[in-house]
Amino acid sequence: MTGHDVVFVLVGLLTAGGAVLTVTSKNLMHAALFFAVTLGGIAGVFLPLAADFLALVQIVVYVGAVAVLFMFGLMLTRAPIGREALDGQNRGLAMAVAGGLFVVLSTLVIGAFGDLPTAEVTGPRIDDLGIAIFADWVLPFEVLSMLLLAALIGAIVLARRETGESGEELTVTRIEMAQDRDPDALEREQAALTSGSGGDGEEHA
Amino acid sequence: MQIDFIAILPEIILTVTALLVLAADLALRGDAKQFVNPLAGLGTVAAIIATVALWGSERVTFGTMYVVDDFAVLFKLLFLGTLLAILAISWRYIAEHRFFQGEYYFLLLTSFIGMLLMPSSRDLIMLFIALETVSVPAFVMVGMRKRDLYSSESALKFFLLGVLAAALMLFGMSMVYGFAGTTDLVGIAAAISGETASVPLLLGSVMLVLVGFGFKISAVPFHFWAPDTYSGAPMPVAAMLAVASKAAGFAGLVVVAFIAFEPVADVWGPMLGVLAVLTMTVGNLIALQQRDLIRLLAYSSVAQAGYILIPFGLARTGPGAAVVNAAAIEAVVFYLIAYAVMNVGAFAVAIAVERRTGLRSIADYAGLSGRSPLLAMGMTVFLLSLGGAPLTVGLWAKFAILEAIAVDITLFGIVLAGFLVVNSVIAFFYYLKVVRTVWMDEAPAGLPQLQPGFNLSAVVVVLMVGTLVLGVLPGLVTDFSSVISIVAAG
Repeated sequence: MTGHDVVFVLVGLLTAGGAVLTVTSKNLMHAALFFAVTLGGIAGVFLPLAADFLALVQIVVYVGAVAVLFMFGLMLTRAPIGREALDGQNRGLAMAVAGGLFVVLSTLVIGAFGDLPTAEVTGPRIDDLGIAIFADWVLPFEVLSMLLLAALIGAIVLARRETGESGEELTVTRIEMAQDRDPDALEREQAALTSGSGGDGEEHA
Repeated sequence: MQIDFIAILPEIILTVTALLVLAADLALRGDAKQFVNPLAGLGTVAAIIATVALWGSERVTFGTMYVVDDFAVLFKLLFLGTLLAILAISWRYIAEHRFFQGEYYFLLLTSFIGMLLMPSSRDLIMLFIALETVSVPAFVMVGMRKRDLYSSESALKFFLLGVLAAALMLFGMSMVYGFAGTTDLVGIAAAISGETASVPLLLGSVMLVLVGFGFKISAVPFHFWAPDTYSGAPMPVAAMLAVASKAAGFAGLVVVAFIAFEPVADVWGPMLGVLAVLTMTVGNLIALQQRDLIRLLAYSSVAQAGYILIPFGLARTGPGAAVVNAAAIEAVVFYLIAYAVMNVGAFAVAIAVERRTGLRSIADYAGLSGRSPLLAMGMTVFLLSLGGAPLTVGLWAKFAILEAIAVDITLFGIVLAGFLVVNSVIAFFYYLKVVRTVWMDEAPAGLPQLQPGFNLSAVVVVLMVGTLVLGVLPGLVTDFSSVISIVAAG
């Protein structure tokens, strides 16, 4: 057992422990904190594999941004942060699925890679990574920026309280009523139609 | 490295259009905001021109990651044509219902950028990003009827299942990468065929990737989101999900299955065949009982996905496989084109009817023939075509599948053909039920005449003519779809 292996096992245990505590902890805020530990542990797993750049990115993006966002989200949205807040009804089922998946996957992975010869790992140089991202991989990179822009704008659209500003002059209430899906809406709709109020603006072709 | 900008010109045009739309929306106020729609339309037309110019050429750029061949161009034209139709049927619906218009069109265009990338991607990472670019804007667009909890529920369902599918697929891809040591599709095929014995892990990860696409195309054990999402979403978005997003899923499935996983076609072929049988049977049986037209169209689109999966069930590997696989791809492409023509049309009519009355249960289509002969005619043609009646393109689409089965007749192929025929008969029950309601039933008193706008009428007329003309002269499309076969097989 080399030093690498010892580090790997210790970090792996930390990661797995954090993951288990994330799903078992009853307090949402504790779960988020344990999740941050898990993400940090994954960054630690990358280190003995000589992927130090990846480890740093993992820390910056996941621990630094995603986990902190989780906590902001919890605190800003008045999410239920109490002892009784997390109480899954499907505890047994979830455990069975997770356990089954673990057994199946570890069997498959060990079956596929178990007898491969081990080798000393040497990670790629960071400047090679940079050149790869901005040369061959520049298309997915740019598409991702478009995707992130769409996600950002979508989040704003969904989070805003009001609806779009146009279309007010039309008699939209009737249409919005029908969209509300309350049981009386259809009857009211029919009544409105039979009373002959069918002729609102037709200006948009 | 040299970048072939001509090859990605359609995507660049759509990206620029999307950003322009966003800027125009910022500048325009009130009712003028709806004029971002023709702006988006212009960009789409420009992209179509740029795509047509690519026909017949074979361009490879970004290493081997991005390939523009006739297969890709055909799919891109299908997506852009659908985008044009969806823009036309969106205009009034979005302008009148107090949506965030600029944002809606921006998200729509972004989603279509992802679709354009899909059939050209020859790399797992590129494919995954293209797929997410299709999905993420769609999650938001489904939830855009914000005052309506039903819409929010459908968006949440779509989001959770979509994310689950993406996670499964990414997990599968990561293990395929671990196995092959490359994300390049051709490289993966080489690595798989270099293996002497089949590795269970590899087959498992292939399954995971295919399951991810199964969600996208709403194949049967993974179809639960489709009806709820379609009926809760704004109707043009439902049309986009049912047609364009599904076609994008199939484009990705063709690329990944027939290029990267071709050496293990003996495993995934029968699996997808069984999935096809399940999908069409379950979709049709549930569709029989629907009273809401959108839910009926949703289950019918599940069933249609089953038909399109049949050619995948024929795929095989080994000597003589290339002919079978090429015929299968050809059938898929032709069916998708036919499906887009008729299904967008059906949604266009549904939008026109709902727009005026706010109702969409099948009973509300009673007497549509008196209220708007054009819409009634259109609905009849589209539904008959979806059923596969003679003189419509639907018949030839089913025929193309049978033709693919006939290339090399096997017992499994005959079973699939049997299910196709039986299911077509079942499907006619519910399509004809709607047609009967439209023509035979009395309209409830007091419903106003329908006056569909110019755009929507134009879309209905064009698609109706397309359905009928292709029904008489299917060669107009098959001439093109037959040349693509060699490409995707190689």
